[in-house]
Order: sequence, then structure tokens, then C-alpha cells
Amino acid sequence: MATAVMTTLDPKSRAASRGMSDLAIRNLFIIPTILFLIVFNIFPLAYSLGYSFTDFRASTNAPANFVGLQNYRDLLNDPYIWNNFAVTAKYVIISVVGQVVVGFGTAMLLNRDIPFKGLITTLLLLPMMLSMAVVGLFWKLLYDPSWGVINWALGLGKFEWLGDPRMALYAVAITDIWMWAPFVMLLSLAGLSAVPKHLYEAAAIDRAGPFYTFFRITLPLVAPILMIAIIFRTMEAFKTFDLAYVLSTQPSTEVIAIRLYKMAFQEWQTGRSCALAYIVLIMVLAITNIYVKYLNKVKER
Amino acid sequence: MTQIELRGVQKWFGAVQVIKDLNLTIADNEFIVLLGQSGCGKTTTLRAIAGLETIDEGDILIDGKKVQHLKCSDRDIAMVFQSFSLYPHMTVYENIAFPLRATRMAKADIDKAVREVAQVLRITDLLDRRPSALSGGDMQRVAIGRALVRRPKAMLMDEPIGALDAKLREEMRAEIKRLHVKQGSTTIYVTHDQIEAMSLADRIVIMHEGVLQQVGTPEEVYQRPTNLFVAQFVGSPVMNVADTTIRETGGEVAVAVGGTERGFPFPRELLSKLNGHAASDGIALGVRPEGVLVRLEPADGFLPVEAQLIEPLGSFDIVDLKVGKEVLRARTKSGFISGTGEKVFARIDPAQAHFFDKASGRSLGVSL
Repeated sequence: MATAVMTTLDPKSRAASRGMSDLAIRNLFIIPTILFLIVFNIFPLAYSLGYSFTDFRASTNAPANFVGLQNYRDLLNDPYIWNNFAVTAKYVIISVVGQVVVGFGTAMLLNRDIPFKGLITTLLLLPMMLSMAVVGLFWKLLYDPSWGVINWALGLGKFEWLGDPRMALYAVAITDIWMWAPFVMLLSLAGLSAVPKHLYEAAAIDRAGPFYTFFRITLPLVAPILMIAIIFRTMEAFKTFDLAYVLSTQPSTEVIAIRLYKMAFQEWQTGRSCALAYIVLIMVLAITNIYVKYLNKVKER
Repeated sequence: MTQIELRGVQKWFGAVQVIKDLNLTIADNEFIVLLGQSGCGKTTTLRAIAGLETIDEGDILIDGKKVQHLKCSDRDIAMVFQSFSLYPHMTVYENIAFPLRATRMAKADIDKAVREVAQVLRITDLLDRRPSALSGGDMQRVAIGRALVRRPKAMLMDEPIGALDAKLREEMRAEIKRLHVKQGSTTIYVTHDQIEAMSLADRIVIMHEGVLQQVGTPEEVYQRPTNLFVAQFVGSPVMNVADTTIRETGGEVAVAVGGTERGFPFPRELLSKLNGHAASDGIALGVRPEGVLVRLEPADGFLPVEAQLIEPLGSFDIVDLKVGKEVLRARTKSGFISGTGEKVFARIDPAQAHFFDKASGRSLGVSL
């Protein structure tokens, strides 16, 4: 079967004139990629799995001792770690829901004939193209309680966006929504414009009202591509580090990635942090799998 | 009981006028076919009646009520699209139920209505499938079912079988006819296929460049076309149209085609019916291939002609006959003329001849 996919090289092509066979060209393209993946992805992955069963500390020369599942046991019994997970879950939900509502809403607004549509779309996409750290830094300025633009514009006086432990997580999520809603918008726009216009005409003839049309025609047809956007955003939000790290030092915004960073590079508990990284990996995989299952179900029709 | 009326409808797309002063009354239960080439305004007219297109001037009346400012949902009209427009993410059942669910009908009533329609269309065993798993003909049945299930005031069909292959088209044509006879609802059907139009219509409306050309039963349109466009658009093979001169010599009237010396003999009444037009040169003769009579032996009134081309079509042959500079196409029994180049004899059946004013294209209304 695998050979059936490969088409024969055009005998007149330049590669053929240099005496390269199909197989040689295939290897030329594939082997470097595979080597790269092994060296930089698969090897560290396997190596860190090994470390996760030891009490290795990268900051000392002490040899690593095998401790079995002790790291995992400790981590899963640590209420602080569970608190980090709870913060992360809350953050993921606020941020992804916000991005989908704002992004899909904007896409609905843009999915019609309006002047300067291309320009508006491009401008709306700009936040997505900025660096996370830069976005974090200037939103910190925007949020500033004494001279920040946001308090001034909303007339909130000296409201503490990032200083208030209850508000800080929402503030980080709002920044994330601002930055990544355009991504959801872009994918939704692609999905929306792929819905054939004649289906809307048929629905109008069938006397469907605007809400009925939206929930029975538009949403189900955009669902697969919207689902892909949600998968991407959930994974990213789960792994959030830079934005939260730059914006706030509150314990209430200590998402799991920040905890992991501190554990690995401030406390130098290398073995334990490897174990935590594996727990996070398994969780992300599990969540993604649920989405992918649902996506496949949606795509079946 | 639905009557649809168009009064002085005008429609522009930018600078192009696509519907020009259209007036039409459609009776209850009538099957009307809008016939014309692509771009003649027939689909735009249909969409205007449905409410998918606005009109710039005039009135559209349904049951005597002006509806041109109503949304399509308020006109109670169903439509079958050329592309079928089935909802791809719903099963056949859900597709047919959609118009009923959209208006919040009771569940039991919906189920009953859907199953009834499915039975009429013979798609009961397809109800659980998705449109992507259906053949073209079945998709069309579902689309018709979705339109029928509401019992709308009127059915609009936009080339509903144009996307099917020839054999299926013929089958579906018969089925649409059967349905109309059985269910009976005011139907407006758009097509560019004159055979479809002839076979389905109670009355045919022929349009050309946004202008209504003729409204009439299939027989009227075929036998008494009002102008050259209708004459050549309806009927297959196409009607012969040739420049002609009409002469009167010694009490005999002869209609000459293609500059020949001798003309085809016609009865004397032709002159009085033509009303002085005979003298002018601007007359075109139109005759359908079956109005050109062909014989192998010389006979009274038959002119010698040469068979240039023979197209055998199975049940009959179409023969190109060279008459002077013109070519007349005649319809003969299959195999009647053995080969091209053969000398045969032809005349024109005066009863099947049409005369048109060459300048305006209008029929002179002569029937002998």
C-alpha cells in the first residue's frame, strides 16, 4: 500500500537527471525530520520519564536515586498542586468560553458584505501576532490602578485588576481573550463562509426564524471547524505560562505551568517536576481525546 | 386555492434590466412553466415571487394580496432549488420535518405529515439516511418532499431536475407530473428545456431577455408561435426559417425559398391573409421539419431538391434538403432516403407554414 502512494519520478526532471531514485528523494526529505524529532522531542520525552522516577536535582552533583512512584504519589496527594490544577481549570474555562463567544460573535458580524472587510479582518487579527510577553507587559500598564487606561476609560477609580486576588485570574483571562479571540474568529469566519448561501435561502423559504436558522443550520455546520479552534485554545490555555507569569504574581493566578516552572528551575526538584510534567501531559491528552472523539462524531455526517 | 398575479414587474441588476414590465396571472392549481434561455430572467422572476429577490417596480399578488414587501417566510410558498439545498447535517426525516419544526408544530403531527409525504414520494426506507448517501433522484424527491410537507399555497421549482442525467430526468419529469395531478397545487416551474416545459405545463410562459414573449398551452405555443424567437425556441428539431418571396403568376401563388425560380404552391387565400405584406420583401417563412413533405417520385406541387445530410434518430430521420441557397430540414420515416446526394421532391404543407415579419420577428398570424 505504501508504495502505491508514491508516484514515479518524471524521467525528465532535474532530480532524475542527477541519478536520484524515488527512494533517495523520499529519504532525503524524511530522514532529517525524523532525526530532528528523535533528538529534540522523543529523546527528552523518554529521558524525562526516567527522571520522573528519581529524586534527581539538576543543581547538585549528587547521583539520582530511583524512588519508584514516590514523586507521583507525593504530587497527587499535595493539596497545593490540586489548587494549582483548580486555578488552571477555572482559567481554561473562562478564557476559552470568552474566546469562543467573542471570536464567533465577531465572525458573525464580519460574515456579510461590509466595506473594508479585508482591512477590518486584518486589524482584528493583529493581537494574535504579538509576542505573549509583550502583550503581558503592556496589559500590565493598561491595568495599572492609578494611571491605567482601563480604569480611566471605564471610570473605575483605583480598581485593582491585578492586585485583587479574586480579580487577578479574570484579568489574565481577559488579556488572553483579547489576544486569542481573533484566532477563533478566523477559523469561525472560514467555517461560516463555507456554509452555502442557498441553505439560508432554503431555510428562509421553510419559514425558519433567525434563531432557529442559527441553531439548526449555522451552528451545526460550523461546529467541526469551531471544535478545532476550541481544541487548540484549550490545549494552549492549559499550558499557559508567559501571560500569567508576566501579568501577576498572585497565588490565585498560579496556573500549573507556573508551578511546574518554579518547581523545576527555582526549587530545582528536577525529578519531581518531570513527574508533574507527565501528569499535565496525560491530562492534556485526555481532554484533547474527548474533543477529538466529539469532533469525529460531528464530522461523520 | 391560490392565485398568483404579477403586475408590471420590473427588476434591474445595476444598469441591466432583467425583468421588463412582466404581467402574468396564474390560476389556482395551474402548472406554469417559465421557459427561456439562461439569463432570460426566468429564475429571477421565480425568486422574486418567492421573496428571495426584491423587485424595483410593480406588484406581486398572492390571492389578491400584495406580497412584494413581505419576507419569504410570510408568503407561504415552498421552493425546490436546482441544487436541492438539502441540509447536509440532517437525516432525510429531519430535512422533511424542518419546515414544520421551524414553525413549532406538534411532534405527533410532524411525524404523521413526514411519513405521509415520504409514502407519496416512495422514500420511506430512506428516512434515516443523510443526503450525502442519496442518489440524485432521491435527493430531488427529498427536496420535493420538504416543499410538499407544508401544504404551501404554491410550489416554486427552479430547474429541479436540471442537475440529473438524461434518463433520470425523464423519470423524475413523469413523477413530478404524477404528483401534480395527485396533489394539485399551484406550481411555477422554471426550465430551459423545452421538452420538459411541453410535457409538464398547463401553460408555458416563454421569456427572452427579460421580456415575456408568449403565454399559452403547449399546443398553442407549438402551433401558433407569436414570434420568431418562440418559433425557434420551442420544438426539436428547430423550426426552419427562411427568407421568402411570394409571387402570383397566372392565378397561382408560389412561395419561393432561397431564391429559386419556382416556388412552393400555396392556396390563394394566403395573399388576402397576408394583407399587402406579400409585396414587401420582409417576410420570413417558418415551417417545422414535419411540415416539409418529401417524396421520392415527382408529384404535383413538389420541387426537386437534393438531400445533403441525413441524421438518423431512430424513430425518424432528419434530412437537410438543399433548396436554392437555403437548407430546409425535413422529417422523414427512418431510412426513407437512402443516401446523401440523392435527388428527392419536396413541398411545404401550407397548413403548417408560418409567416413572420422579418423586421420585428412578429408572426403575421396566417393560418391556412
